[in-house]
Amino acid sequence: MMTRLSILPGRVWWRRLGVMTAKEIRQLLRDPILLSFVVFIFTANIVIQGSSVSMQLNLAPLVVLDADHSAASRELIYRFRPPYFRLDGELDSPSKVTSALDRGQAMVALDIPPGFQEALLKGEPAAVQLQVDASHPVPGFLASSYGARIVGQFSLDTALAREGLSIKRPDDLPVVIDDQRILFNPNQKDTWFMPISELLEGITLFAILLPAAAMVREKERGTVEQLLVSPLTPFQIVFPKVIAMTSVILIGTTMSLLTVLGPIFHVPLEGSLPLFYFITTLYIFANAGLGLLIATIARNLAQVGLLSLLIMGPILLLSGLWSPSEAMPVWMQWATMASPMRHYIEVSFGIFLKGAGIDLLWDSVLAIGFLGVAIFLLGIRRFRGQFA
Amino acid sequence: MNARRILAVAHKEWRGILRDRLFFALAFIVPPALMLIFGYGLSLDVEHIPFVIVDQDRSALSRDYSYGFIGSRYFDFKGYAANERDLEPLLKDSKIRVALIIPPGFQRNLHAGRAAHVQTIIDGTIPARAQTTKGYVAAINSYFSMGLLAEHVSRLRGLPLREARQRVQPVDLEVRYLYNQSAKSIWSLAPKLIMLIMIFMPPLMTSVGIVREKETGSIYNIYSSTVSRGEFLIGKLAPYVAISSANIVVLWLLAVQYYGAPFKGNPFVFVVASVLFAICTTGIGLLLSVLLRTQLAAIVVTTVTTMIPALDYSGFLMPIEALDRGGGVVARLLPAMYYTNIVVGTFLKGGGWDALMGDVLILAGYAIALFIAGYVLFNKRPRA
Repeated sequence: MMTRLSILPGRVWWRRLGVMTAKEIRQLLRDPILLSFVVFIFTANIVIQGSSVSMQLNLAPLVVLDADHSAASRELIYRFRPPYFRLDGELDSPSKVTSALDRGQAMVALDIPPGFQEALLKGEPAAVQLQVDASHPVPGFLASSYGARIVGQFSLDTALAREGLSIKRPDDLPVVIDDQRILFNPNQKDTWFMPISELLEGITLFAILLPAAAMVREKERGTVEQLLVSPLTPFQIVFPKVIAMTSVILIGTTMSLLTVLGPIFHVPLEGSLPLFYFITTLYIFANAGLGLLIATIARNLAQVGLLSLLIMGPILLLSGLWSPSEAMPVWMQWATMASPMRHYIEVSFGIFLKGAGIDLLWDSVLAIGFLGVAIFLLGIRRFRGQFA
Repeated sequence: MNARRILAVAHKEWRGILRDRLFFALAFIVPPALMLIFGYGLSLDVEHIPFVIVDQDRSALSRDYSYGFIGSRYFDFKGYAANERDLEPLLKDSKIRVALIIPPGFQRNLHAGRAAHVQTIIDGTIPARAQTTKGYVAAINSYFSMGLLAEHVSRLRGLPLREARQRVQPVDLEVRYLYNQSAKSIWSLAPKLIMLIMIFMPPLMTSVGIVREKETGSIYNIYSSTVSRGEFLIGKLAPYVAISSANIVVLWLLAVQYYGAPFKGNPFVFVVASVLFAICTTGIGLLLSVLLRTQLAAIVVTTVTTMIPALDYSGFLMPIEALDRGGGVVARLLPAMYYTNIVVGTFLKGGGWDALMGDVLILAGYAIALFIAGYVLFNKRPRA
C-alpha cells in the first residue's frame, strides 16, 4: 500500500509545481509590451482583419470592348452586374484593354466582335471572349465561372426566344434545376470565417512560440542549470511554463470571444462552449509540446525564431484554412495529419458554425490528444537527455 | 560616417552570425525549405471536393447525371448515401463538403419534357470555397441540361443532334486566362512565395540580433564606443540585408528553374526592387527592435506582426481590390503589396520600368523612411 502511494505525486510535488508556475507568471507580467501585444492580437487584430478581408469575388472591375454596338450586345453587357461585376466602362481598342488589364485597373474584359447580333438573328454561331486576370487563381476562376453562367443564360434565353420555345413556366423544359442549399453559413459571410480563422491562428502562434522562447531563455542565460541542481524534475521545470502560457492564451481567447467574436461579428456558437474550451486547452498543450521540442534543438532565441518559422509557416499555411487540404498531394495530406492544427480547425468550425458535438468530433479530439502526448513525451525525453 | 567603422561593425556582426552554426545554416535553409513545402502543398485549386450522392430515382438518366460529378476531377466521390438523414452528420464532421440529392421522378420528368429538380447541399463554412464549388456544380448542371435540351429540340424539329445543339447554344464563350495561361496556381504562387518568405525572415533575424545585444548588455560597448548610431545601424544591418538578398536569388532560381514559372519582365527591375525590399523588411526588424527589450518579446512580436498581415494584406492569397476600404488602406501602408506588384509584374506580366516604376519608388521611400525612423528612435543614451 505504501509503495503504491509513493508513486502518486505528494504535497511537496504539487507545491513545487505551484511555485514554479507562479514564477513563470510573474516573469510574464514583467514584460508589459509582450502582454499588451497578446491582447492586441486577440482583440483589435481580429477586428481589423475580420472585417476587411474577404475571400470572395466582389465587384470585379470589368471593361468592355463592344465592336457590335447592337441591342444584343448591350443586353449581354447589361447582365454583368453587381455584386460580382462592376462595369468600369467601354474601351475602343484592344490595346487599351490590354493596358487596363496589365495595370490591374480591370480584372475582366468582355470582348464582343462585330456582327454579333446579326449572327444571332441568322442563327449562326456567335462567339464572345472573356479575358480574365488569373494572376490570382481563386478570384480568376470565380470571375470566369460567373461570366460563363451569365453568358450561358443569355445564350439560352436567346435560343429559346428564337426557337419559339418561350416558356410560361421554367418547368416546361427538360432541364435540371438545382435547388441549392448552403449550410452552416447560409449568407456566406466572410465575417464569420475570417474572425474564427484569425483566432485559431493567434492561439496556434502563441501556443508554440511562448513556451519555446521561455524555455530557451533559461538555457541561454544559464538559469536552467540552477533549476537542474534544485530538486525539481525535468517535468516540474517544463510544465509550469506550459501552464502559465496556456493560462495567458486561454485568457486571450476568452477576451476575444467576449469582446470581438460575439458582440462585433455575431459569430454563432452552435455547439458547446465548455467543449471548445476543453479542446482548446488540449490543443495548446499539444502545441506547447512542439515549442518544447524546438527549445531542445535551439540554443539561443535567434535560433528559436528561425526554427519556429520553419515549423509554423507550414502548419499555418497548410492547415486547410487558406488552401483546401483535398487538393494537396496525397503524401502531404498525410503529413498534415501530424499537425494538431489540422484537426483543431475541423473541431473549432464544427463547434462554432456546425453545432457538432463530441459524438462526431471524437476522432479529431483523440488525434489532438494523441499527438499532444506523443510530442510532449518526446520533448521531455530530449530535454532530460540534454541536461540530466 | 566613417566607412572603416561601419565595416568593423559589419565584420563583427558577420563573425557572430558565422559562429552560430545552426543559426547560419537555418538562415539559408529556411527560405528554400519553405518554398519547397509551400510549392507542393499550397495548391489553391479547389479540387477533389469530397461528396456523396443520394439517388432516389435510380434510373439510367440519374446515373448519367451523377456521372458528370463522379467523373469530374473537381469532385471526389465518396459513395452513395441511403437517405437525406445520413448527410447531416457527414457534413458536420467535415467528411464531405457537398451532397447531391436526386429525387424520385428525375428521369420521368425529363423524358416528359419537364424540368427535374435536384438539390445540392454545400458546406458554407469557408465561403470562398463554397462559391467555387457552386461554380463547378452550375457548370456540370448546365452542360447536362444543354444536352437534354438539344435532344428535345432535335426531336421537336427533326434536326440532327449536332445542329440542335448549336441552336440551343448560339453564343460560344471563349475564356482566356491572362498572365497564367494554364491557370496553374504554382506559376502565380511561386513568385508570390518569394515575397511571403522574404517578409518573414529578415525582420526576425534583425530584431532578435539587435535586442540580443540590448538584453545581454553588450550594446553598452556600442554606447560607449566612438561608433555613431548611424554607423552602428548600417554596419549591424548590412549582413542581414546581404543574407536576404542572397536568399532572394536562391528563391528566384527555385521559382524559375524548379517550378518552371515564366519570368518575362525586366530582371534589373526585379533585382533593384528585391534589394530595396530586403532593406525594407530589415528596417521593419530594426524598428521593432527599438521598441522591444527582451528577445522573447522580439521573437513573438516580430513573427506575429509579419506573418498575419503578410497573408492578408500583401495580395498573396487575394487581390488587394478584394479588401474593403479600411483593408485597402492598411495594405497600402505596408510594403508587401508593392513588392507583390513587382514580383507578379516582372514574372507574369512582363513588366519593365514604365509599368513598375511607381512601386519601386514607393519601396525606396519606404526603406528610407524606416531607416530614418529607426535612426531617430534608436538612442545611444537610453533613459531607462
